[in-house]
Amino acid sequence: MAESELAALHRRRFLKGMVVAGGASITAPAAAQSRTPEKPNGNASPPTAAARANEREHPPEVDRLTTEKSGSDFMVDVCKTLNLDYIASCPGSTFRGLQESFINYGQNKRPEWLTCLHEEVSVGMAHGYAKVAGKPMAAMVHGTVGTQHAAMAIYNAYCDRVPVIIFTGNAGALNERRPGVEWFHSVQDGAATVRDFVKWDDSPMSLQHFAESTVRGYALACAQPPGPVFIVADTKLQEDPLDEREQRRLKIPRLVTPSQPIGDANAVREAAKMLVAAEAPVIIADRYARSQAAMDQLVRLAELLQAPVVDNRSRMNMPNTHYLCQSERAGGLIASADCILSLEPVDLYGQLNAMRDQLERTEISKAKAGVKVITISTRDLLVHSNYQGFQRYVSADINITADAQTTLPFLIEAVQREISSGGKNSIAMRGEKMREAYDGFAERARAEAVLAWDTTPISSARMYMELWEQLKQEDWALVSDGDFSSRWPHRLWPLEKHYRFIGGSGGYGVGYQPTAALGAALAHRDAGGRVVVGITGDGEFNMAPHTLWTAAHHGIPYLTIIQNNRAYHQEVMHVQRMANRHNRGLRNVHIGTTIDNPNIDYAKIAQAYGAVGIGPISDPNDLSEAFRKGIAAVKAGQPALVDVVMQPR
Amino acid sequence: MKLMILAFAGLTLAVGPACAQQASAPAGNVENGKTLYVQTGCYQCHGYAGQGAPMTGPRVSRTEFPFEGFLFQLRHPVSQMPPYQATILSDQDAADLYAYLRQMPAPRDPKSIPLLKAGR
Repeated sequence: MAESELAALHRRRFLKGMVVAGGASITAPAAAQSRTPEKPNGNASPPTAAARANEREHPPEVDRLTTEKSGSDFMVDVCKTLNLDYIASCPGSTFRGLQESFINYGQNKRPEWLTCLHEEVSVGMAHGYAKVAGKPMAAMVHGTVGTQHAAMAIYNAYCDRVPVIIFTGNAGALNERRPGVEWFHSVQDGAATVRDFVKWDDSPMSLQHFAESTVRGYALACAQPPGPVFIVADTKLQEDPLDEREQRRLKIPRLVTPSQPIGDANAVREAAKMLVAAEAPVIIADRYARSQAAMDQLVRLAELLQAPVVDNRSRMNMPNTHYLCQSERAGGLIASADCILSLEPVDLYGQLNAMRDQLERTEISKAKAGVKVITISTRDLLVHSNYQGFQRYVSADINITADAQTTLPFLIEAVQREISSGGKNSIAMRGEKMREAYDGFAERARAEAVLAWDTTPISSARMYMELWEQLKQEDWALVSDGDFSSRWPHRLWPLEKHYRFIGGSGGYGVGYQPTAALGAALAHRDAGGRVVVGITGDGEFNMAPHTLWTAAHHGIPYLTIIQNNRAYHQEVMHVQRMANRHNRGLRNVHIGTTIDNPNIDYAKIAQAYGAVGIGPISDPNDLSEAFRKGIAAVKAGQPALVDVVMQPR
Repeated sequence: MKLMILAFAGLTLAVGPACAQQASAPAGNVENGKTLYVQTGCYQCHGYAGQGAPMTGPRVSRTEFPFEGFLFQLRHPVSQMPPYQATILSDQDAADLYAYLRQMPAPRDPKSIPLLKAGR
């Protein structure tokens, strides 16, 4: 045996001895490895040829303590091919290998690691980000317990059809798990908790498998209808050394952005005929527009037909500054429509029918008999059985399974052909009626806004218009749903660009608002520093107040306004309904529904997390100054919060 | 039930000038009506000023319903509103509420509020 081989064998013995001797060698493995092995005792006999041969055939077990390259490094290589700018995470040991590789090997760039204080924030943030950025970011959640924390946010993203790339870790093989905690955090099937409400999941068995599943997952997440995907990264795969030979064998597939499904040409042509022939067509838009171009296309179609558009506000679909945006008289339009075109509907049945929430549940149709219904949607391409977000079934006259945004240019072309071949005088007349109706919307909204203008608690109308006064000169974006505050932004603010508004949660899982606002604000920051405002109820904010710490830590500026009605107000009304139904009076409906006694000081909470905190504001005359300060802080790069004590809605 | 709904719908359509309806209403105690408006949770859906909200309940401030229509709506709501039976809101309570709603202050002219000139 050559001397060098002998020396190597002795070094292995020495290192093993160091591991047995104590932890010091573990904390400084590199130094230990570099030491010169002790020389053999001079009195000892040199090993015999037989002993050497035996040692070569049966080398003593020696722990390898360090490696320059691990499987998780390759996983980072995979992620870097995917146009992921961020990965949000609350730390967890099941992905410690990946985390270390992202921040060191990956140099914490593209993706950059963002620290969140709860897994629901990591995923909710990614949800809001994707709706503004138009591409997914990643979230990394701890195995089992972190996945459970993240579940509601994943469900919201699934219901809202938003792409999110979620990774978790799992110690799969029992001999790889440390006794105790690691067993509690290990599972047979890491995605089982969320499988019902992700678009796809996988638990790769090798690094090559990880590469293909991750690229496939990204592509699937972005294909219409989009949705969250969930990839389980085995801890052994993450932490095992990756030698050069194995690495050379690994291939990362090229990501190919899929084209989106377009409606069948015959069906589109029939739809155009039906729309042009209609006397009272109505267009309903739900999760339709993903871009400004899509909004422009909708305007084009509406103008061609002079058809009113009912924007259900799931996305920013139709500029409310256009006279054909007629959402405010949705009920009347649907009642008189003879043809309805529904683009990416969320609940078309509920739009066409009403069910009374009384002891006896009676139903009535809101549409007239014989109305023709056309749907263009990808909703049938993503239906799971257990969770019932797919809503009741509607028998459409023409059901086009396709991406509405991609199909609309073809429908416009077909409508143009149909109009030019047949001609319709009634189309222009219809437009005049729409203009007349539109002119009354803002006037009516103003007349309603004054009714509680000077009251305390402060009315939502007053709050929104005081805010608008401070915001109107900025390039602004609203990243919250207006439905729980009387839709004032849609009634009184001009929403004319796609990035002004992003819709709501999708699944109505409470906690979306502050978390999605954080992610949306991040995307707006990167897009050029728009002034971002999110209005959230106090109940909802309490699900994730620490979003403000993440915002402060990572320099994500936006203004949070707490619509503080000191209650889970929707639940107040539900319990009140039950008390009325049972004739038991209303004395106790506050039990379990209100958030007072003591009142929560949200400004102090904001300050404690490193944000600017203002309030509570109880006098409507103090709003102006509070908002001015809040917006100034945001423009200076800080997250800020204004707590406004308000009426229920 | 359908007939009752239709009857009520007809009643609401037949509403005449506010002052004419007030004449047929029983005398009500405005102060007690104000207390009841909060105690019985009216404000939860209709707002403290009776201004209403699109998703929860319409404006009730200075209601122009005749008292009979108002009472019918309380007892047998035509819409999503929870029913208020006499055991939890007597006819006199209803009259007090009605009196309170009727005398709510007239809203300001929107044109007198500069902030409302902005917006869309």
